[in-house]
Amino acid sequence: MSGSTSRTQTPLTALARLGFANLEIAAKQTAAFTPEQRDVFGVAADPDQALKYLNQLFERDAGLADSIRTDLPCLKNLVRLLGASSGIAEFLRRRLEEVSRLISGEPVLPNEHRIRQEFARDLRGLNGDEAAVSLRIVYRRILSEIALFDLSHPEPLSQIEPITASLSDLAGATIDAAIGIAKSELGSDAKLAVIGMGKAGARELNYLSDVDVIYVVEPREEESPEHAVREASELARRIVSIISGPLPEPALWELDANLRPEGKSGALVRTLESHLNYYEKWAKGWEFQALLKARPLAGDFDLGTRFVNGVAPLVWASASGSSFVESVQRMRERVTAHIPASEKDVQIKLGEGGLRDIEFTTQLLQLVHGQTDERVRVRGTLPALRALCEFGYIGRGETAAFIKDYESLRLLEHRLQLSKLKRTHLMPRQEPELRVLARATGLANSAIELRNTWLEIKAEVHSLHERLFYRPLLSAVASLPEENFALTSEQAQARLAAIGFKDPAGALRHIAALTEGLSRRATIQRNLLPVLLQWFAEGADPDHGLLVFRRLSESLGESHWYLRMLRDSSGAAHRLTTVLASSRFVGDLFERTPEAVAWLENDSDLEPRPLSQLLEETESLISRYSTEPENAVIAIRQIRRREVLRLATASILGLLEISHQGKALADLDTLFIQSMLSIALASEAHPSDFEFAVIAMGRFGGAELGFGSDADVLYVYRANDAEQGQASAEAVISRLNQLVEDFQLPFDLDINLRPEGKNGPVARSLDSYRAYYSRWSLTWEAQALLRAKGVAGSKQLIEDFESLADEVRYPKNLSNSDIREIRRIKARVESERLPKGADPSRHLKLGRGSLSDIEWLVQLFQLQHAVTNEHFRTTSTLEALAAATGAGLVSTTEANILRGAWMMASRCRSAMTLWNSKTSDVLPTDRAELDGIARLLGYPNHSATKLEDDYLRATRRARAVFERHFFEDQTP
Amino acid sequence: MDKQRDFVLRTIEERGVKFVRLWFTDVIGTLKSVAIAPAEVEGAFAEGVGVDGSAIEGLTRLFEADVLLNPDPATFQILPWRGEVDPTARMFCDVSTPDGQPAVADPRNVLKRTLAKAADKGFTFYTHPEIEFYLLKSSKLDKSGRPVPVDSAGYFDNVPGGTAHDFRRRSVRMLEDIGISVEYSHHEGGPGQNEIDLRYADGLTTADNIMTFRTVVKEVAIEQGVYATFMPKPFSEHPGSGMHTHMSLFEGDTNAFFEAGAKYQLSKVGRNFIAGLLRHAPEITAVTNQYVNSYKRLWGGGEAPSFVCWGHNNRSALIRVPLYKPSKPQSSRIEYRSIDSAANPYLAYSLILAAGLKGIEEGYELPPEAEDNVWNLTDSERKALGFHPLPASLDHATSIMESSELVAETLGEQVFNYVLLNKRREWNAYRSQVTPFELQNNLEVL
Repeated sequence: MSGSTSRTQTPLTALARLGFANLEIAAKQTAAFTPEQRDVFGVAADPDQALKYLNQLFERDAGLADSIRTDLPCLKNLVRLLGASSGIAEFLRRRLEEVSRLISGEPVLPNEHRIRQEFARDLRGLNGDEAAVSLRIVYRRILSEIALFDLSHPEPLSQIEPITASLSDLAGATIDAAIGIAKSELGSDAKLAVIGMGKAGARELNYLSDVDVIYVVEPREEESPEHAVREASELARRIVSIISGPLPEPALWELDANLRPEGKSGALVRTLESHLNYYEKWAKGWEFQALLKARPLAGDFDLGTRFVNGVAPLVWASASGSSFVESVQRMRERVTAHIPASEKDVQIKLGEGGLRDIEFTTQLLQLVHGQTDERVRVRGTLPALRALCEFGYIGRGETAAFIKDYESLRLLEHRLQLSKLKRTHLMPRQEPELRVLARATGLANSAIELRNTWLEIKAEVHSLHERLFYRPLLSAVASLPEENFALTSEQAQARLAAIGFKDPAGALRHIAALTEGLSRRATIQRNLLPVLLQWFAEGADPDHGLLVFRRLSESLGESHWYLRMLRDSSGAAHRLTTVLASSRFVGDLFERTPEAVAWLENDSDLEPRPLSQLLEETESLISRYSTEPENAVIAIRQIRRREVLRLATASILGLLEISHQGKALADLDTLFIQSMLSIALASEAHPSDFEFAVIAMGRFGGAELGFGSDADVLYVYRANDAEQGQASAEAVISRLNQLVEDFQLPFDLDINLRPEGKNGPVARSLDSYRAYYSRWSLTWEAQALLRAKGVAGSKQLIEDFESLADEVRYPKNLSNSDIREIRRIKARVESERLPKGADPSRHLKLGRGSLSDIEWLVQLFQLQHAVTNEHFRTTSTLEALAAATGAGLVSTTEANILRGAWMMASRCRSAMTLWNSKTSDVLPTDRAELDGIARLLGYPNHSATKLEDDYLRATRRARAVFERHFFEDQTP
Repeated sequence: MDKQRDFVLRTIEERGVKFVRLWFTDVIGTLKSVAIAPAEVEGAFAEGVGVDGSAIEGLTRLFEADVLLNPDPATFQILPWRGEVDPTARMFCDVSTPDGQPAVADPRNVLKRTLAKAADKGFTFYTHPEIEFYLLKSSKLDKSGRPVPVDSAGYFDNVPGGTAHDFRRRSVRMLEDIGISVEYSHHEGGPGQNEIDLRYADGLTTADNIMTFRTVVKEVAIEQGVYATFMPKPFSEHPGSGMHTHMSLFEGDTNAFFEAGAKYQLSKVGRNFIAGLLRHAPEITAVTNQYVNSYKRLWGGGEAPSFVCWGHNNRSALIRVPLYKPSKPQSSRIEYRSIDSAANPYLAYSLILAAGLKGIEEGYELPPEAEDNVWNLTDSERKALGFHPLPASLDHATSIMESSELVAETLGEQVFNYVLLNKRREWNAYRSQVTPFELQNNLEVL
C-alpha cells in the first residue's frame, strides 16, 4: 500500500487501525456490526480476542446479543473486559447471567462495604459446597467490576493504589465469607483471626496473588488452648478448601500460611500467646521483616488487632540487633536470588530493577529510620515512600520517580495477570503478546516500544536505589544544591551502620573530606560516592577501603585520567572498591603506586607481564644508569612493587588463575634477583674468572610462591683462587642483600636451606659443594636439593651446579636406613619446629596435614623413584605428586586429598597476606579476619566458621594419607 | 525477647534474687557456671557476658579471644536448693563468638546444628532418658579403697524410711519445681543405685534437662548429707550406671517410626535409623561412653550391651525395640542402651541422631535381629551371626572414632579434634597407673 492512497480507507485498514491483527477474520465476523459498533473494538487490548469471545456469548444467548448490540456503552464495557482478560471472558461464558448487570452503567470501584453486602446477600441461606460456589462467583463478579473500572480509567497509573486496596478488601471479605460458611458447617464459634501478611497485609494485592496469612485463635472461657487450636485448625483447613478446593466453579487463589511460625512444619493455628512467645524466643530477623506488613484481614478484628499490636514492638527492636546487617544482606539476596536463567530477561518482580528491588529499598529505609521515627512505620510501599519523603529521608524528585516506576511495573503486572487470571510476573517474549500488553497498559504504542520502556524503568529503579539510600548520606556532610533536604549525621550514621560500616562516624568524615569544596574532583566524587559506598559496603572491610580510597583520591588529586576513569568506567571503579575493601596489602601498594589505578580499566593491564619483557625493562634501566646505579636500584624496586601489585590485584579480581600465581611470583623474584645481582657484580671487584650464581630453593625453586613468601636461595661461585673467590662471593652477597632491601615491600633472601644450615658458610664454591655432598651423604640435604633451580648468574655455573645436584637428589640407591633417617627427622621437626603454644591443626606450614607433611611425602617418593622414573625429576610439588599417582604410589583419591590440602594451605597463606598485609603461618582465630580471608578465597560472606571447618577437614584427611604412606613401609 | 526479659528482671526484683548463674556446658559435658549480680543482668541480655575462652575445657585451643555468653531468658529459674535466704537463679546460655556467630565449640550448638539437619529432612528428634546413678555415704572411700553405698537394696525395692526414698522424693520435687517432668523413679539393681526417668521431650530440651538433672541430684545429695555419682561403673561387682535412651523421629504430628502392620510396627524410616545407628555405633562410642571407666560398665556383663545388634525386647542387645502397645501408635520408639550417665548429652545425642539419619539417607538394610541373650552365645556364634563387639576400651574407641567422617562432620572439625586430644590424654594418664589389680596379682608372685 502506498502512502498516497492511505486517505481512502479500505475496511481492512479501518480494522487494522482499531487494533485487529487477523484482519480477514475480523472483517468477516464484524460484517453484521454497524461502523459505530465496530469502532467500539478500539478500546480492547486485544480486539481479536474480544471479538471471538463476544461472538461466543452472543451465540449462546441471542436475547443478550440483541440488547447489548444496541447499547453502545454496555457493548464498550463488555468489549473492554473480553479484550483484556480471557480469564474473565471464560467466567462470563460459564455464568452468562452475570453479564448484563456487570456491564450496565458507569464502571465504579466497589468499596468494602458494598463488597461485604454482596457476599452477605448472595450467600444468604446457602451451605456447604453450594455456598462455596456462590462465594467464588461473587468474588469473580466483583473482581470483574474492579477490572472494568481499572480498564476504563483514562489514567490507570493513578489508580494503582485504589485498585490494589479494593482487591485486598475483596480478599478480606472473601475470607470472612468463607469463615462464615465454615463456621456454620462445623457448628463452630471459635474466635479466629486471620492476619494478612505481605501484600494482603499492606493492602496492595495483585489481581492474582497468593494471599499470605497467619491464623490466630483465642480460647473461649474455660476452653483449653489445645482444644481451641484443634477446632480452629479444622476451621482454617475448611476455609482453604472453600477458597481453593475442587468445585464446579474454579479455585480462587492459594491461601498461603507459610509465613507462620516454623513455616510449613509449624502448627497451622496458634494462640496469641503462643505466637508472641515464638516471636520473642525463636523468630529470625527476616520473620520480623515479614511482620512489618501484618494487618488484621478477616475474622475476629479485636484479636487480630491485639496480635498486630503485640508483634509491632518486636519488629522495631529487631532492627537494632547485632544481626541486623546480616539480615539486610539476606533481604537483598532475596531480590536477586532464585531467578531461573530462562526468566532472567523477562522477570518483572525479581532481579535488579524489579518490583522487589523497590520494596527492598523502601523496607530497608523504613527499618533504619523507623527505629527512631515512628512516622515512617507504615505498611504499604507507596505510603512508606511518601512518609520517608515527607519526613526528610529521601528526596522529592527521586521519590516521585520511584513511585512512578513502581506504579508502572505494577500496571504491567496487573495487566499480565488479568489477561489469563493467572499468577505471573513474566513479561511476554513474543511480539503479539507484547503488543496487546502495550495496548492494555497504555504505556507504549508498540511491542518494541513497550519493551524499551520497561528496560528504562528497570535501569532507573536500579539507579534510584543508590540515589535514595546512598546519595542522602552525602547531604549529611556536604551541601548538595540539588537536594532539597539533608539528613542529620545521626541519621546518616544509622544508614552506614546498617550496611556494614563498623565506624560510621569515621566513614562520614571520609565522605565529608571526599566531597567538600568546589573542585572538579569533589564534584565528580559527590556524584560517584553514593554508588561507591554501596560497593564498599559489599566488601569485608568497608571502613578501611573507604579510608584508602580517600588517600588515593587525595594523592591523585585532579589527575585528568583518574577522574575520567571514575566517572566513565563503572567497571574500573567497582574493581577499585572491591580490592580496597578486601585487601590491605593491595591498598598499601596502591597508596605507593597510585597511577596503577589506571590498570583497573583494562583486563590486559592486569595480566602478568612476561619475564622476558620485564628483564628488558630492567636491563635498559641498568645500562641507562650505569654510572649512577642507585637510580636503577630505586627504579627496579619500584618495578617489583608495581608488578606484585598487578598480580595481587588480578588475583583478587579473579583474573589470575591460581595455578599461574606461583609461577608469576617466582618470575618476579627471579627478575629482582637477576637485576640486582648484575648491579652487585658490576660494583664489586672480583677476579676475571669469577663466576657466581643464585640457586632458588624451596617454594621459590618449585615456582610455588604466594604473596609474602620469602625467597629461599643458595649461593654458588667458581674461581681459580679459592680464597679470593670466597671473599668476592661474600662481598657480592652482602651488596646484593643491601640492594634487594625494600622497606615498602620487604624482600628476604633466606639462606637457611644451605648445607650445614646456620653454621655453614654463606656461599660455597661448586667444588666445595661437591666435596661436601660426597663426604656427607645426608639425605635431608638431598631432599632440600630436590627443589633447587638456578635463577640468576652464570649460566654455565648453574648448569654445572644442577648436574651436581642431580647426582645428590636422585640417588641411585636410597637405603632403608636413609629412609628411616628422613622419617625420624620429619618426626623431630614436627615436635621441635612448631612454635611454643601454636595449635598444630592451624599451622599452615608445619601443622597437621598441611604444607610440610605433603611436601615431605612427595619428596620421599622423589628420592626413592626419581633415579628410575624421570617424571619425578621436577621441582614442583604438584608435578611430583602427579608422578607418584602415575606410578601408583598413591591412589587418585589420596592424591586429590593431598593436592586439595596443599592448595588450601597455600591459598590461605597467600590470602592472609593480602588481607592484612602481614605474613603469618597460623590460621587466625579472629572472626573478622577469617571472614575477610574466606572472601578472598571466594567464599560467600559470613563464612569464617565454614573456612575453618573446611581447612581442618582437608588437613585432617591429608594427615591420614600422609601417615599411611610416610611412616609405614609400603611393601611393593 | 522483651517480655521474657522484663519478666526476668521483674522477678529478680520481686524475689530479691542475689545472684544469677549463667550456665553453659563444656565439650566434656561439665556444667559451667558464671555468677553475675542482678544489676548486670540487663547488660547481659543486651550484649552478652564476655568470658575468657581459654579458661574453658574444649575452648582452650579454639579461641584466644573471649567468647560471649548470651543468656536465654526463657530458661530463667530460681534454684530451689538455695532456699530463700540468698535466692539464686539460673539461665542457660548460648555461647557465641564476638562477631555474634554461634561458637563451634559450644556442645549445645553442635546439637542444634544436628537437629536443624534433621528438621531439613522434616524430622523432629524426641528422646527420653533413663538416668541411673549411685548414692554413696560420701565421696570418700572406705579402708579397702571402695566407695560406700547408702543402702544395700535392689531393683524396685522400697526401702522403708531409707535415705534413697526421701532422696528420690525430694529430687523429683525439685526437678518439677525447676520445670522438668519426671516419668518414674525407682531403686535400681545395685546397692544405693537409683534411676529417674525424664519425660519425653525434644532432643535439645532433654539435653538441657539432663544437665540440670545432674546438678539437682548432686545438690539434693549434699542437702541430705550423702553423695551422688554418675560414674559409669563405681563397683566392679554391681551394675554400672547407664543412661538408656528411648528415641523416635516425628514428621509433624506423626511418629515416623510407626507403620501399622509392619513387623514390630516398625516403619522403613525406623529400620533404616536402627541400621544407621548399628553401623556407626563403634565410631560414636568414644562420645557416648567417654571415660576409661565407661568400658568397665560396657564389658562388665549383666545387662550392659557389648555387641552391635538389635532385638525386639531383647535386653542384651545394643538397640532394643520395646514391646509395642497397640493403643499408642505415637509411642513407637527404639532404645539405645550403651550410652552411660556420664556422657555429654549434647554431643552424644548429636551423634546418635546423625548415625540414624545416615541410615535413612543411605537406606541401610537392617541386619537380622538378635533373638537370644547375646551374652550366652559363644564368640564363634556371635561371629557367625555378625554381632561385632563394641570397642573394648577408651583407646580402642578413640582410634575407631579418629577415622570416622560421620563423627568429624557432625561434631565439626574443632570439637572432633578436641575430643580426640582429650580422650588420648585420659587414656595415657590411665595407662601410666599401676593398679591394685596388678599389685595383688603380680607383686607377690613375681
